Amino acid sequence: MVTITATTTGQATRRNSAALYPYLLIAPTMITLVLVSLVPFIYAVYLSFHQAKYGRVTDFIWFDNYVMLLTSGTFWNSMYVAGVFVLIAVPVEFTLGMAGALVLNKGVWGRSILVPLLFIPTMMAPIVVGLLWKIMLAGSWGVLSYNIIERFDLVSGTSIFASERYALLALVFIDIWQWTPFMMLAFFAGLQALPQGPYRAAAVDGASQIQIFARLTLPLMAPLLFVIGLLRFIDAFKIFDTIFILTKGGPGTTTESPSLLAYKMTFEFWNIGEASALAVFVWIIFFAVCTVFYHIAKKKLNAF
Amino acid sequence: MEQKSSIGLGLRTAAAVICALIVLFPVLWMVAMVFKPADVMFARPTVFFYTPTLANFAYVIEQGFVNNLITSLALGIFSTILVVIIGTPAAYSFARFELKAKEDLFLFILASRMAPPVCLVIPFYLIYAKVGLLDTFVGLSLAYMTFNLSFYVWVLRSFCRDLPVELEEAAILEGWSKAQVFRRIVFPLLRNGIVATSVLCFIFAWNEFLFAFMLGGDSVQPLPVAIPKLITAQGVRWGEVAVVGVVSLIPVLAVVVLLQRHIVRGLTMGAVKG
Repeated sequence: MVTITATTTGQATRRNSAALYPYLLIAPTMITLVLVSLVPFIYAVYLSFHQAKYGRVTDFIWFDNYVMLLTSGTFWNSMYVAGVFVLIAVPVEFTLGMAGALVLNKGVWGRSILVPLLFIPTMMAPIVVGLLWKIMLAGSWGVLSYNIIERFDLVSGTSIFASERYALLALVFIDIWQWTPFMMLAFFAGLQALPQGPYRAAAVDGASQIQIFARLTLPLMAPLLFVIGLLRFIDAFKIFDTIFILTKGGPGTTTESPSLLAYKMTFEFWNIGEASALAVFVWIIFFAVCTVFYHIAKKKLNAF
Repeated sequence: MEQKSSIGLGLRTAAAVICALIVLFPVLWMVAMVFKPADVMFARPTVFFYTPTLANFAYVIEQGFVNNLITSLALGIFSTILVVIIGTPAAYSFARFELKAKEDLFLFILASRMAPPVCLVIPFYLIYAKVGLLDTFVGLSLAYMTFNLSFYVWVLRSFCRDLPVELEEAAILEGWSKAQVFRRIVFPLLRNGIVATSVLCFIFAWNEFLFAFMLGGDSVQPLPVAIPKLITAQGVRWGEVAVVGVVSLIPVLAVVVLLQRHIVRGLTMGAVKG
């Protein structure tokens, strides 16, 4: 692709500048990303090895912050909260999304009107999503609280977000509400892009609908399912905004996700050292997941 | 056969409409709340019909929310322009050239995108406090780069790869300079991709909460931060909160209508062409 015009003089310098050109193009991006993402990471690592409370960084204390973190109940509680959240929300979104996509793909009247409407929950600010559901499920006057939850006596107490038993499930439900329509549209886009040939062959062979789905559609969609699944997994694990506006981690610590815990450690207890240890820990897990994910997506599935 | 398939179509459509209503009901309810007078807001049983009022708007304007709105718009536009200027050449370069350690650079970009914002906000807060970037326009725009620049480069690269190489090769054989090739061939062909990706960046900036909440302050306070400030233990002016929520939905609605296909492509980091 890179062509070098041969001239008698200055060939070497031209060759050099031609070889440098691609790097010049990426330099501004790389410098910026180092500043806004690598530098903060390194600083977080530095803080995590120090005694840092109330904004004063004092002694170097090796792994004490990590030990404190990993032996604390609040940390494992946050992991449990994130685990429950992700393991219920993501599979449900997947299943409902796939079912919806198959229906859309078979043909629906007014699809061109329906599709943009379904994007709305996903593109909304998460903080507004939280707000919406605060309104819907507000104790006593919320339209769903009064007309459904109270009428059928589903949850005792003032509001579902104050219920130790149901607050987390309510947050899971909201995530499902927000992301299922998107999953549906993404899978639908994937279905539309599938080659038609194998389907004709399967029809000729008299394969059943279920066989076609299991042996043809699923394998053909595998790269897409993998990419979407992992992106969703990572996003769900990071959840902050909706929890922050709806429950702030409560009641007690029943909805305290790792993001919320890190926030509270930093800006409520000003225990910056331990909060940084948590941040670095989560960061490393994410980086490991990203690395594995990227290599599988690239090599095995040819996605991206 | 003909009749059977049209019954199926009808059933599927009915199911789709019901699902769409479930999905949209909370949104529509909030839009209706904007016009709800205070006396029916908390009524039990729920009041579905009432005389609409504009009183909620008046209060919101009185409280200076126009400033929040302007801040949000300016931040979104400024940070997106920065991302486009810095990121477009990189996306092109990644799509076209063989680079040393390309895979590692890529992973670095992906990791920047995936990092949990709460992990970043802690060091950002402390660094900004030292260098005096807290509650500044520039500081917040820079912070938005962590997720938007990496997102932009990654997704625009997938648009770049759709361009035919032959045109560029022909132009170089004609003796065009690289700058000319970029300006006169690549850029025009890439325009749709740039618009789609940068509009998504704008929406991410517009929707962002945590950075704005922690790194902003009284002088730089975009809309999402204004919402939780209205929700206090003393009580909430729900009608006003709904107004702010609905205003923040406006650009989202525009994007949803204009960019449908590209949303899937963007949110799957280019894995689905849409």
